[in-house]
Amino acid sequence: MFKFLMFPTDIRYKMSNLYVDIKNRSTDVQMQNALFSANPVSVMTAVNFSELKISANTAETLVAFSIGSGIGVSMHDAVAKVGGLLNFVLPDSSKIWSERENRFPYMFADTGLLAFLEALNNVDAKTKRLKVVIAGGAQILDQTSDFNIGLKNHQALISILSRKNLTIQHEDIGGSQRRTLCLDIDSGCSTIQTAGQGEVRV
Amino acid sequence: MTNIEDIISAIDTLTPIPPVAAQIMALAEDEYSSMSDISDLIVHDPSITASLLKICNSAYFGLARKVESVRDAITLLGLDQIVELVLLNSTAENFKDEPDGYGLGEGELWHHAVLSAHVAKMLAENHGAARKKHLIFTAALLKDIGKLIMGRYVAFSFEKINILVGSKGYSFNEAEKEVIGMNHEEIGALLGEKWRFGKKLVYIIRNHHMSEEACRDDAETALVYLADIVCMMIGFGTGVDGLAYRFYSDVLKRMNLNDNDLQKIIYDTGERRKKIQKLLDLV
Repeated sequence: MFKFLMFPTDIRYKMSNLYVDIKNRSTDVQMQNALFSANPVSVMTAVNFSELKISANTAETLVAFSIGSGIGVSMHDAVAKVGGLLNFVLPDSSKIWSERENRFPYMFADTGLLAFLEALNNVDAKTKRLKVVIAGGAQILDQTSDFNIGLKNHQALISILSRKNLTIQHEDIGGSQRRTLCLDIDSGCSTIQTAGQGEVRV
Repeated sequence: MTNIEDIISAIDTLTPIPPVAAQIMALAEDEYSSMSDISDLIVHDPSITASLLKICNSAYFGLARKVESVRDAITLLGLDQIVELVLLNSTAENFKDEPDGYGLGEGELWHHAVLSAHVAKMLAENHGAARKKHLIFTAALLKDIGKLIMGRYVAFSFEKINILVGSKGYSFNEAEKEVIGMNHEEIGALLGEKWRFGKKLVYIIRNHHMSEEACRDDAETALVYLADIVCMMIGFGTGVDGLAYRFYSDVLKRMNLNDNDLQKIIYDTGERRKKIQKLLDLV
């Protein structure tokens, strides 16, 4: 029962006969587009933590399942019909980077967001048209400010976005719940599902 | 309130972990035991031997020659890896059934268990508990085994639990205790006693959310607790309970960890995740 409540799109996706292996997605875009223009059923692509996915496929929905203290950021340009989803978990790469080579730029707010904006720019999205929705930044109960990574993630994200003159359309931040953030590339609608609380669509 | 006897009797619906797993763990930590002691123990259990050889010969390890005996496997992959594989293999069966009630997808609890076990082991190696790493690995792997039993009781009382957590400031395990009369730590520990786990292992399972103040001094429990916290924060295998457990900064301070160290641990966990995903598909 819970599964159905939480992943309605997932169920719809599996029920449709057009099951396309997520892994093969990038290699087979053309075939898929042909398929979906004939039968417009949405494809779901999972954006795991410390991943970034950009899409211009209007049949596609990007989903970041199970966001904890990290934050899911969806940005969408309604005119160009492109968008993307970033799922990062840490605020600042310089704290880790000084010691090791950064093999996971999408794990951090700073490097992840810069790469995100650059990638959107490459597919002709305009910064001033971007609709930004963020969800996550949860914390363990009684997590004090020093150790509160969720809060730090939020602060880091806000400061980067304001530096880039981006305003946040909708945010669902904090608390102790797990969240799921979806972005429908066609409509630009983002859906935030919070465990035990239902769903918000913006 | 649910009948406690009912919950306890549900332990018998699970498949007990073979005693050989516990014996192997004990031998691996005993500095006087030899490699042949351990391989002797494994070869006497045909099902463990068979699955061990199957895993060792899989593409994941990419070994140049075929592994044909347990001794071969230990020489090629190292004792640590073999002990880990045996432990994973003997616990996997129960976890693969999806526990309803915690809102977890198929295999999510198992993935969480394996990742937190690896993180706990990594922490043990980095924080002066390397000698106990197999115990800590196993404890982190089995800490949430109580959820397999509690699942349907939580599903039944979820509304009440959700209210206590959402608006009364309860943590999820406190709310379980209040509404159902028992939480997943306690039933996990009872299960451990019934299946004759070692004393320390039962202790860690019972206290892995560190609700009792007395256990916050315990170094091994602290490592398992920290691994659990980190996995929750990255959102790996968390269910409807989410992050609704208590954070004790004094536990981290006692381990000399500050917030930068915590961020590094999260980074290392993320790094490890991709590797583990491949391992999970095997076991």
